[in-house]
Amino acid sequence: MKSLFIDTSSSRIILALLEDEKVVKEIDEVNDHSLSSRIFPLIDKLFHDTNCNVDDIKRIYVVNGPGSFTGIRVGVTIAKTYAWAKKLEIIPISELELLATTPYETDYIVSYIDARREAVYAGIYDDHGAVLEDTYITIDELKTRYPDASVSAVSYDHCDVGLDQLEPKIDIERIIKRHKDDLPMNPHEVNPRYLKRTEAEENLEK
Amino acid sequence: MDDTYILAIESSCDETSVAIIKNGCEEIHTVVLSQMDIHATFGGVVPEVASRHHIENITMVLEQALMEANLTMDDITAIAITYGPGLIGSLLVGVQAAKTLAYIYDKPLVPVHHIAGHIYANNLVEPLEFPLIALVVSGGHTDLIYMKEDYSFERIGGTLDDAVGEAYDKAARVMNLPYPGGPRVDKLAATGEDTYPLPLPLDDDSYNFSFSGLKSAVINISHNEAQRGNEIRVADLATSFQNRVVEILTKKTMHALKSYHVKNLIVAGGVAANKGLRTHLEEVCKENGIHLCVPPIKYCTDNAAMIGAAGYFAYKKGRRGDLTLSAKATDKLH
Repeated sequence: MKSLFIDTSSSRIILALLEDEKVVKEIDEVNDHSLSSRIFPLIDKLFHDTNCNVDDIKRIYVVNGPGSFTGIRVGVTIAKTYAWAKKLEIIPISELELLATTPYETDYIVSYIDARREAVYAGIYDDHGAVLEDTYITIDELKTRYPDASVSAVSYDHCDVGLDQLEPKIDIERIIKRHKDDLPMNPHEVNPRYLKRTEAEENLEK
Repeated sequence: MDDTYILAIESSCDETSVAIIKNGCEEIHTVVLSQMDIHATFGGVVPEVASRHHIENITMVLEQALMEANLTMDDITAIAITYGPGLIGSLLVGVQAAKTLAYIYDKPLVPVHHIAGHIYANNLVEPLEFPLIALVVSGGHTDLIYMKEDYSFERIGGTLDDAVGEAYDKAARVMNLPYPGGPRVDKLAATGEDTYPLPLPLDDDSYNFSFSGLKSAVINISHNEAQRGNEIRVADLATSFQNRVVEILTKKTMHALKSYHVKNLIVAGGVAANKGLRTHLEEVCKENGIHLCVPPIKYCTDNAAMIGAAGYFAYKKGRRGDLTLSAKATDKLH
């Protein structure tokens, strides 16, 4: 069974074509302001290079956040439209869990994304899954949540979280193995996980 | 000749809309999901909130449109999409959805300028007759467009500052009317009298408009009256404001029609729903032997039906978007 993997929520554009749990081809490029115009030519190249047809795809794994709001929306719009139109299975993946597939030698790994204003989107993971679920959190608060064990950090960003930081080296096959038995969702219900309300909504409550 | 079915998507502001239009003139079905109530709580459209709702709704609106039209993607000839101008984050959702459909079904992708859509809303009422002048009036636009033939647009004038709809919303705020203010000012104006000395803005020989001065005059009157301890007669202020707006729009439009020797006028955009403007233009056009076309209210506000109508003519002209098509917050009408 062929699957398409889409992650446009971070500073990389990562696409992959999978045969069952094996990556047949992976594209990993810098994500910038031209994402909206570059994404389809890249998907087209992926299909072309793997000699694959749009109708061969049976399942889509899409990273739905947290991360760049615009980036997430590009990937999720494509994934949910494709899955709805062609009646494909669709499974959302957390960007933070994906980052945490980077090999680490500590007991735990903190994956985070800079959310500005001294805050991050972060999760704390070990080999079995999340010990701190993905959340929007101030850096000071995050530091109080570290387990009493060896901990390292992983991120494309560079915030001072007080830990040794690893360069992300994500493992798509590993994340797919963990999620291949997830119950596929209704494409209408696959939406971005921003982990933060809009400023306008927050101000409304003040 | 085979019929052409355009599937159109519009998401440039706070409406997620999908329509299927046959041969550029027949509306098969349109779904419009408005976020107006959501944004009303913020007192205006919040771009990030709008984008979030578009992505939640886009596939449901697509499904509903096709299902209620009793059609499938196989029946569709081409996909038309509003690529701009508008809110970039909102446009982006529609553009990516449209590209996805065009790509996976291998259908032509037709980019449509939002204002071309407003103009072609009239083609769903009766075929456009050329040459024509289009008066485009909305929350983001105030333009006079000369069209020699189908899908040829020459902008001969427009606002130098605020769009007319924007001026209405700002004036409404001064009058303490809730968002969206335009329709409420229009309604009040019908009940008041023209008693306030507001200026006729940019009353010259150009085809341009300026509404910021008029807006300031409304603010000044409101302040001065408050300082004197006088109560503002809101209905009278609404009437005075609306009369000036309608007069200058009509005056410059008639000037354009005469200078360009054009006998056809179409009015387009959200402010085309304004009763005061419609009534006055009808009278003046009748007096001057001008054929006037104003779309019904449902085509004045943002909708995908108009994008499908314009998309048909763009498609016939060979306009195509490729896989790199991206949303544009601003773009010249072409």
